[in-house]
Amino acid sequence: MAGTTPVEWTDARSGYEAADAEGFGLTAEDLRHWRPFYPVEIAWARKHGLSLAVARRWASDGVRVHDAVRALALDMTSQEVRQWTDAGFLPADAVEAKEVGISLEQAVAWREVGFVLPDAALLIDEGWTLEAATAARFADVDQYGPDNARR
Amino acid sequence: MLSEDRNKLLCETGPGTPMGELLRRYWHPIAGAAEFEKLTVKPVRVMGEDLTLYRDRSGNYGLVDRHCPHRRADMSYGFVEDTGLRCNYHGWLFDHTGRCLHQPFEETTHPEGRFKDKVRIKSYPVTEKAGLLWAYMGPEPAPLLPDWDRFHARGYKQIAISHVPCNWFQCQENSIDPVHFEWLHDNWSRELRGESGDRAPTHKRLGFDEFDYGFVYRRVREDTTEDHELWTTGRVCLWPNCLYTGHFEWRVPIDDENMLSVGWFIDELPGDAPYEQERIPCWYAPVVDERTGRWIDSHVMNQDYIAWVGQGTIADRTKEHLGESDRGVIMLRKRMLAELDVVAAGRDPLGVIRDPAVNHWVHLPIIGRPPAQDGPPPFPFLAGQPEEIEKQLEQAWRDCARPKV
Repeated sequence: MAGTTPVEWTDARSGYEAADAEGFGLTAEDLRHWRPFYPVEIAWARKHGLSLAVARRWASDGVRVHDAVRALALDMTSQEVRQWTDAGFLPADAVEAKEVGISLEQAVAWREVGFVLPDAALLIDEGWTLEAATAARFADVDQYGPDNARR
Repeated sequence: MLSEDRNKLLCETGPGTPMGELLRRYWHPIAGAAEFEKLTVKPVRVMGEDLTLYRDRSGNYGLVDRHCPHRRADMSYGFVEDTGLRCNYHGWLFDHTGRCLHQPFEETTHPEGRFKDKVRIKSYPVTEKAGLLWAYMGPEPAPLLPDWDRFHARGYKQIAISHVPCNWFQCQENSIDPVHFEWLHDNWSRELRGESGDRAPTHKRLGFDEFDYGFVYRRVREDTTEDHELWTTGRVCLWPNCLYTGHFEWRVPIDDENMLSVGWFIDELPGDAPYEQERIPCWYAPVVDERTGRWIDSHVMNQDYIAWVGQGTIADRTKEHLGESDRGVIMLRKRMLAELDVVAAGRDPLGVIRDPAVNHWVHLPIIGRPPAQDGPPPFPFLAGQPEEIEKQLEQAWRDCARPKV
């Protein structure tokens, strides 16, 4: 299958995508119907009961299937996600923040120090404060003089 | 960045540790079946446990404690019989389930005592599949050994194993780190070859998706678009300790400071005539250049080893500074930590398969490579491929290119 695209799979972007779709138990019709989603996304959406219409609505806000499933489980709205993307975060960051209970202001403060959001989320989840994390982050460089990255 | 406590949680795999408990819910490849064409007993160390792997004269594989429960002699110096492995010290015999079958002197002096029924040796199930020997070291009932669809693909298969002196988890993090390809493998290789000119195409965008057996990571480079397989299909960080890109690279903890890299490779063959490979050869890949005493840097996986070992025997994640390229790594850590809780709660963790109906040619996304036109390309993954294997592959390739009539 891989490398060539039989007639019924002509909507696949390549023979490999067709093979991937088939491997996930999808039909050529599924792939055509769900375009432009990818096989792994379609399979995940179906597994979690995400309809095509809802998947498309989230995708129009830049939220792909994996994050849309998480967002819906958290009762998030696309408007909520948009607040985060407007602030320069990825849609996945918005979902991550909601899961851990991080406010946008808090996330911005951690970002200012240099923490990407998922890194910050793991630390906050473990009970770190921004002050403690910042001190730990620069502990090695601070001892070597004034021209380190933080100053 | 991680706290020291969380770093330990992710790295320590000995018996009773949270990660050890998680990893013991899966089958792990620990040797090549072809190794047992020439030997019958082999000492192995897996997740901090010293064990003895053997194949008895009936063809049963066993994985038992390194030490005899009698007086602690080394069972890897024992000898196999029709059933089981006999200790070379006083002749106690054990089968692959751990039962003691014979205690020569005890049975001579006190046959009625049936002391052998009161003694067992620690044992774990071993299964052969796809040319590998797999061990399951967790609680019963054991899950099914995954029947990945790639195991059934047509092609010449080989297994290459390396001993890498660092913790397993930094190796597995590499399985979800797309950007390292650009630098460690593309740009550094160009430097090593003394090539001048342009750098490799840069990464422009990354994407990560979870699926039933791990994560798919996707990338757009400056020379590709979102219609390219690197984005539409992606590559697989296979749960819990493997990279799958058409071949498999398992990272099996030997202990917390050493990792057994088990590679399973397949070269697709030309034509479509049936091809049956009688045996899957297994070889051990060197990691050190004997001429220089430095790590071998010529092949893809060797380059990975240099990066991993360079991170320290156990990477100190309290000192790292993660960026945008590390989103997949963080995702992996988060999922690992979550799955530790799943196991602690007594449930099956991610990717465990128990339904035989599911476990049939289980699909993993793959970006295929067009078959070579003029013969098999040189083995790119590890240095030291034996000439004999290279010749076998060439022969298989020739046979398939010009099938016999």
